[in-house]
Amino acid sequence: MDIPFTRKPRPDTGLYNAKLGVWLFLASEVMLFGGLFSSYIFLRVGADYHWPVHELNVTLGFVNTLVLILSSVTVVMAWANLKMRKIGAYKVCMWITVASAGVFMVNKSFEYKAKFEHYGVKLKDGTILTGHLPEGGYRIEFGDVNKLTLNSKTGDPTYFLEYTKSENPKFKTAAGTEVELTKSAWKELAAEAIKAKQNSVVLTSVAPLTFAVKESATFTHTDSTLTFRDGTTIEGKLINDALTLQVDKVDVRASDDPKKSLAWTYLGTEWQHAFDAHQEHAKEKYKSFDAKDARYLRHVMQMEIHHSTVAEHNEAHPGAGHAAETHAPAEGNHKADGHSSHYPEATIARKDIAFWSNFTPKWNTYYGIYFILTGLHGLHVVAGALVLAYFLLFDTKLLREDPDHLANRIEVGGLFWHFVDLVWIFLFPLLYLL
Amino acid sequence: MEQSHDDLQKHVKKYVKIGIILGVFTIITVGLSYIELPTHGLNIIVGMIVATFKAALVALIFMHLNHEASMIYKILLFTTVFVMGLFVLFYLAHGDGLVFTQFDGYPGTPYGGAPH
Amino acid sequence: MSASTATHDHHGEHEHDHHELGWFQKYIFSTDHKVIGIQYGLSGLVMLLFGFFLMMIMRWTIAYPGTEVPGLVMLSKLPLVGNFFANWIEQWAPGGIVSPALYNMFGAMHGTIMVFFGIVPLGFAAFGNFVMPLQIGAIDMAFPKLNMASFWCFFVSAVIMMASFFLPTGAVQSGWTMYSPLASTEGMGIKNVWMHGHTWWLLAMVFNISASLLGSVNFIATAINLRAKGMTWFRMPFFSWAMMVTAFLLLLAFPPLEVAAILQLGDRVFGSSFYLPTGLMEGGQRLDISGGGNPLLYQHLFWFLAHPEVYVLILPAFAICSDVLPCNARRPLWGYKMMIYAVLTLAFLSFIVWAHHMYLTGMGVMMSTFFQITTVLISVPSVILLTCLMITLWGGSIRFNTQMLFASAFLPMFGIGGLTGLPLAFNFIDLFLHDTYYVIGHFHYVVAPGTIFALFAGVYHWYPKVTGRYMSDLLGKIHFWPSLICMNLIFAPMLYQGMLGFHRRWYDGGKYFEQVTNGHLWTNELISFAAWGLALAQIPFIINVFVSIKSGKKITSDNPWDATTLEWNTPTPPPHGNFLSEPIVYRPAYEYSVPGVEQDFLPQHVADNGVPAEKTAVAANHH
Repeated sequence: MDIPFTRKPRPDTGLYNAKLGVWLFLASEVMLFGGLFSSYIFLRVGADYHWPVHELNVTLGFVNTLVLILSSVTVVMAWANLKMRKIGAYKVCMWITVASAGVFMVNKSFEYKAKFEHYGVKLKDGTILTGHLPEGGYRIEFGDVNKLTLNSKTGDPTYFLEYTKSENPKFKTAAGTEVELTKSAWKELAAEAIKAKQNSVVLTSVAPLTFAVKESATFTHTDSTLTFRDGTTIEGKLINDALTLQVDKVDVRASDDPKKSLAWTYLGTEWQHAFDAHQEHAKEKYKSFDAKDARYLRHVMQMEIHHSTVAEHNEAHPGAGHAAETHAPAEGNHKADGHSSHYPEATIARKDIAFWSNFTPKWNTYYGIYFILTGLHGLHVVAGALVLAYFLLFDTKLLREDPDHLANRIEVGGLFWHFVDLVWIFLFPLLYLL
Repeated sequence: MEQSHDDLQKHVKKYVKIGIILGVFTIITVGLSYIELPTHGLNIIVGMIVATFKAALVALIFMHLNHEASMIYKILLFTTVFVMGLFVLFYLAHGDGLVFTQFDGYPGTPYGGAPH
Repeated sequence: MSASTATHDHHGEHEHDHHELGWFQKYIFSTDHKVIGIQYGLSGLVMLLFGFFLMMIMRWTIAYPGTEVPGLVMLSKLPLVGNFFANWIEQWAPGGIVSPALYNMFGAMHGTIMVFFGIVPLGFAAFGNFVMPLQIGAIDMAFPKLNMASFWCFFVSAVIMMASFFLPTGAVQSGWTMYSPLASTEGMGIKNVWMHGHTWWLLAMVFNISASLLGSVNFIATAINLRAKGMTWFRMPFFSWAMMVTAFLLLLAFPPLEVAAILQLGDRVFGSSFYLPTGLMEGGQRLDISGGGNPLLYQHLFWFLAHPEVYVLILPAFAICSDVLPCNARRPLWGYKMMIYAVLTLAFLSFIVWAHHMYLTGMGVMMSTFFQITTVLISVPSVILLTCLMITLWGGSIRFNTQMLFASAFLPMFGIGGLTGLPLAFNFIDLFLHDTYYVIGHFHYVVAPGTIFALFAGVYHWYPKVTGRYMSDLLGKIHFWPSLICMNLIFAPMLYQGMLGFHRRWYDGGKYFEQVTNGHLWTNELISFAAWGLALAQIPFIINVFVSIKSGKKITSDNPWDATTLEWNTPTPPPHGNFLSEPIVYRPAYEYSVPGVEQDFLPQHVADNGVPAEKTAVAANHH
C-alpha cells in the first residue's frame, strides 16, 4: 500500500503531500511567532520602564544575520543542484547550510552566557547599577545557628548543608540522640516523623554553625531566621547581607533625584563628578533633542565604566568620549573572572536593593521576550539543521535511486529553513536595533 | 513544476544575487538604527519596512512564492488575516482600556501602574 | 477544479502486499488511520468518564458541604494500591471530606480533561481519523507516521496530566483557564518549581498542542490531496468538510495558546514577569519580580485559542449529525452548500470574537462594541447550520434507532445552549451573569447534551463498520432516555441559579452566601442527584460497547444503514488500505429518495442505477 502523491504533485492541486503539509505547518508557525510578536508589541507599549535599545551585542547579531542569509542561499542552491544532478555541489551546499546553523548556535551561546553572568541591581531610589558579581555570587552570611526545623516531607539536608562553613556538623534530635545528617539518617528521621504525624523535625546543633547561603537558595529571611527553599528554617543571627557588584554602568534615568542617587553613596563622590562631566558633554552633543525624549535620557542619564578608578577613567576618555560609549554593549567587552580590577566595587546593603537579577527573563519583560523569542528561534534552528543533516547523511539510498524524491525533501526542509531565516529578519532589528 | 537545466542554472545565479542584496540591506538596517530620526517611532517604522522588504524577498524567491499552487495562497491568505487580527486587535485592546482614577489622584490604566 | 481530471500516479489496483505486521505494529504502534482513530476514541471515552467522575465528587461537596463523600475512603482499602491512595486521601480529603484545595484541583482538571482530553480526541481525532479518509476515498492519511506520532504525543500528555494528581503539590488548582497572575505565582515557595502540578499542566499542554498540530496538518493535507477520483469539493460529504474546517481551527488557533503557555512557563520557572504587573503584592508581601507585564496579555492569548476551541468542540457534532440525520430520515441534507459556506464563515468569525470572554477586564467601549458585534454575527452561521439540519427532517420517513434519537436530541439541546449564549454576548448583561452558574449552564448545554449526544450518535452509527456487529438498540434506548432527562435536570436549574447570582467557584455551593442563595439551596441537591442519575444512565452504554463486540447482532451487509457515503463501500471492518478497488465518485453525497430510482438511496460510488448520473446530481441540487 503506497500513499499517492508522495513524489509527484497531484494534477488538480499541483502539490505533493509533503509540500502541502509543510506549508500548513508553516501557517501554524506564522501564528506561533505572530502571537509572540504581538506579545512583544503588547509588552513594549505597556512597559513602565525604559525599554532597552542597542543594549544587546549588535556585532554578534549582525554576524548571525549574515550567517543565516548565507545558509538560506545555500539550501536553495542545494535543491537546484540536486535537480540538475550536480551531486558534488549539492553536498557542498548542504554542508555549508548545516555548518552555518552550528556557527549561529555557537554565537548565540556566547551571547547567552554573557547575559547570565551580567547583573543588574535596582536600588530603592530607582537608580540602576549593572555589573558582575565576584566569585561565589551573592551570599547571605548567617551565624550562631543552633536550631534547625526541617519539613518532614520536603526537607533535604544535602540541599542546605552545602552552605555551612563547618565540616561534618553533628546534631541532636528532640529525643537527645546524636546524628550526622546523612541521606539515610535523614530518611529514617523523616519516616518516623511522618508516622507520628509531625510535619516537622526539630534538630539542635552540637556546635554553633555558620552558613553562607546563596541568595537563590533562600526563601525568606529576617534578622534571626532564614528559610531555605526546601522548607528548612534555621535560627541564629544575620551577620551580613550585602551584595558586592563590580559596577560597569550607572543608570539614573528612573532615579528619584539623580543628584542624591544612592549610587553615589556606594561609588563615592568622585564618580559622581565623573558622571557630571559625562553628562555635560552628552547634553551638549544631544542638545537638539527634547529633554524628555527617551533617546536623550539614554545618552545623558547613563554612564558606562571601564576602569577601576576615576583617574584612569578620565585619562582614557578625555572630553566627549563618554557619550559615544553608551552605545557600546557592555557585556561583550569584558568578563567577570580575573578582571575585577577593571571596575569599581560597590557593596550594597540589602535594605537599599529594590530588585536584582542577572540579565535573564527575570530582569525585565524585554529580556523575557528576548530569551523566549531567540530561544524558540534557536530551537527551530537546531531542529531544521538536524532534519537537513539527516537528509544529507542518511538519505544516500534515495540519492542514488530517486534523486527527485530527495529533492522534494530538500525543498520541504528548505522551506522550513527559509522560514527560520524569515523570523530572524524581523527578530534582529526588533530586539537588537530598535 | 518541472524545470529545465538552464532554468535552474539561471535560478542559482538569481539566488546568489538575492543573497547579496539581503546582506546589503542588513548593513543598511544596522546603519539606519544609529541615525536618530525625528522620533524613535519613525526609526521603528523604517526598520520594519526594510525588514519586510527582506522578508518578502526570502518568501518570494527562496520559498518560490512567486509561482506557487493556488491552494498555498489560499491557506496563507487566511493565516495572514488572522495574524493581522492578532496584531491589530491586541494593539487596540491595549490602548482601549477604561481609564480608572487611582486613589492617589492620578489617572492611569488599571494595570499600567502610576507614573514614576 | 474538476476532480475527474485527477489521476493517481500510483494506480489503484492496490495489490495488498500482505506482509504480516506484528501485533505491536498492528494494534499499538499502528500507522493505520482506523486503528489510531479507535485508540483516540477509547482514550477519549475513558477520559470523559474520568472527568465526569471528578465532577460527581464535586457535586457531592456542593450539595452537602463539609460532609464525608460516601465511598471515597474505600479507595484506601483497595488491594495493592490502597496504601498509596490512603496517603493521598489523607493529604487532600482527610476523613473523606473534600478539602477546598482538592475542590479547586478537581474543578481545574474537570475542565481541562473534558475539553482537551475528552471531547477533542473523541470528536475530532477519533471520528475524524476513522471516518474522514474512508469517506473521501483515501487509502490512509497523507502522513501515516505523523498520525501515529500525534496519538503518542497525546498519550504522553495525558499521562503527564494524570500523574500531576500525585505530585506532592497536587494537580493544578487555578481553574481550567489558568488566569495569571494567580496561576503565575501559585505555589512558588517550593524548592523545585518544575515539580509543581501547574508546571506539569503546562508541559502536558505543550504535548497536547503538538498532537493537535500533527493531527490537523494531516487532516487538511489528506482532505486536499487524497480525495478519490470524482470526489470534487462539492461532492465531499459535509462531515469531511466540517472535519477539515475543524482542523484549520486547531492549526491556527492553538499556536497562540502555546505562546500563552510558554510565557506562563517563563513566569513560573525563569522568574519573568510577562503577566505580572509592577508592584504586585501577594499575602501582604511584594513579590521578588521585576513587574512591567500585563495579566491581560494572558487572557488575550488564551481566549484567542479558546474561542475557536469552542467551535472545535461543536463542529464534529454538526459533522456527525449531518451524516446520521439524512441517513435515518431518508432525505438529502437540506442546504448542503449553504451549510458549507456557513461553516466557513463560522470558522472565520470564530477568530475575532475572543474578547467577549473579557468584558469584565475593563476593556474600553470601542473594543467591547467590536467584539459584541462579531459575537452576535457568529450566531447567524450557527443558526443556518442548525436550521438546515432541522429542515432535513421535514417530510422524511424517520427511523428512530438509537443514533437517530441522539442526533435529533442534539438539535433542541444545542438550540438551548446557543440561545442562552445570546444574552452573554451583550456586555451589559454579561456584567451580571459573568462567572455565575448561568454561564456554566449555557456552555454545558452546548457541549454536554449537545456535543456529547452527537458523539454518542456517532458511536452507535459507525460501530457496525468498526466491529461488524450492531450495538443493542434496547440498551441504547435505556441509555438515551434517562440521559436526556438527567442532562436537562442538571443544566436547566443552573441557568436559574445563575440568574439568582450563584457564583461558579463556590466550594460549598453557596451555604455561606445566604443573601444570594436564600431558600434556593435545594437546587444544588437536585442537580447533584441528576448528575449521579446521569452516571447510572451511562452503565448500559458501557455494557453495550463491550458486550456488542462479541455478542451483538451481526450485520448482513457492508452498508447496514443503507447510507450513501463511501465509508460504507468498504469491507467490514475495513482492511489496511481500506478499499478493495479504487473508489470512484459519481454523484453528490446525499442521494436519498431520488425520484424514479428503485432503491431509496444512491451511494456515491454507484455509476448507474437506471438514472443517468448527471440527472440525479441535478435533482439533488434542486433541493
